[in-house]
Amino acid sequence: MLENFSFRTIVEYLPLFGQGLVTTVWLSVLSFAGALAVGIVLAAMNLQRGRLFRVPAKAYIDAVRATPLLAQLYFLYFGLPRLGFVLPELIVGILALSLNSGAYVAEIIRAGILSIPRGQVEAGVASGMTYVQRMRLVILPQAFKVTIPPLLGQAIVLVKDSALLSLISVAELTRAGQLLASDRFMPAEGFITIAAFYLLLYYGLKGLAALSGRWLGLAGART
Amino acid sequence: MTSLSSKNGAGMIEFRGVNKWFGQLNVLRDITLSVEPREVVVVCGPSGSGKSTLIRCINGLETIRDGDLTVDGQRLGDPATNMTRLRTEIGFVFQSFNLYPHKTALENVTLAPIHVRKIPRTEAEKAGRELLAKVGLADKVDAYPAQLSGGQQQRVAIARCLGMRPKIMLFDEPTSALDPEMISEVLDVMVAVAEEGMTMMVVTHEMGFARKVAQRVVFMDAGAIVESGTPDEFFSNPKTDRSRAFLSKILRH
Repeated sequence: MLENFSFRTIVEYLPLFGQGLVTTVWLSVLSFAGALAVGIVLAAMNLQRGRLFRVPAKAYIDAVRATPLLAQLYFLYFGLPRLGFVLPELIVGILALSLNSGAYVAEIIRAGILSIPRGQVEAGVASGMTYVQRMRLVILPQAFKVTIPPLLGQAIVLVKDSALLSLISVAELTRAGQLLASDRFMPAEGFITIAAFYLLLYYGLKGLAALSGRWLGLAGART
Repeated sequence: MTSLSSKNGAGMIEFRGVNKWFGQLNVLRDITLSVEPREVVVVCGPSGSGKSTLIRCINGLETIRDGDLTVDGQRLGDPATNMTRLRTEIGFVFQSFNLYPHKTALENVTLAPIHVRKIPRTEAEKAGRELLAKVGLADKVDAYPAQLSGGQQQRVAIARCLGMRPKIMLFDEPTSALDPEMISEVLDVMVAVAEEGMTMMVVTHEMGFARKVAQRVVFMDAGAIVESGTPDEFFSNPKTDRSRAFLSKILRH
């Protein structure tokens, strides 16, 4: 069975995979930065008492979580141009991942903030801090620590989701596998190789999560 | 602790006909109470009688429904009263300490002085070290709350309040969450604060503390002040059935 498996072709295509890997990494980094920005804004809106901000934030989060990422991507890629917004596919891809992941990030941040005990807010209030001071000095530094592990989990999901961008012909990692599959009719070689690269990225992020966990464990453990 | 402004003979804390409801429950019933500058008042009563709610109203952690509550000459709920500003004059010690877990003991003490009072960092740290030494924790300035015992955490919490140089200190069952052997170290600090002339309201069942420093004991039941008198009067000659029943329960052992 393995006599048909061509390691030589994989080696021959390695530069292509390398380029795909690099593209996947930087577009994931940009998308995750975008997701953090979207998530922070949505979480802040969702934590307000007034409905004016809370309701739109909740509606957005529900809409994103209820629909497939592929449908969102196709809407942005095929739908937006029909409405008059023509964007390069790479931008569309990063936008789709940011907007999608941002909804999940928002919930992670909100949960992190809500996990801080009420007594912490009261201690801040009692010492005369304003809302902004309480957030900045008391709540967010603590919430930040709680949210790092789930945020890295979300980053792993985002890296895997970025494979969908191959469908709008962004030359990322999965696209490289597709090219090998279609040019040489070698789907086994193509897709096992990209799987190996995704595994590599996964372990990289997991290592980062472990490192951050150890770093966060140093200070400020709660009784 | 210099300006003990007492306008027109009014107290530092003045409740006049204060009522509060949680839903259908009348948690504070027609409370009228005046606390003079430098006075130490102990509030006791059975669980759910409204003691904590009473002192939480003073710094606006709870709001009142009707009646008048004036603190340091400023009427709560009045648009002219800057609540955030007023709170800097009122220290509040919680039953569960509520220290900032991500800050060291010293940072806990200096955080509000630096950011709220706008005291320069070096000055705030110097004062913070002195306060921690005063509560017997000179060697714990760099410890995180998780590294401290309950009694030590509560002493840091008291130092944290004193760092703001408040005019009033409120204590909400400060020793209820502590192991018995740690209670006296916290009470000793509170006695020292009282003896320096701080205006204090203390919700506690530590009757030894009440006898030692309180000028007045207020007994509450079902949201109302049932009885009020000097510690001697209250302990040796309680006037109501409710207070007698309460005292027989807490003083039995």
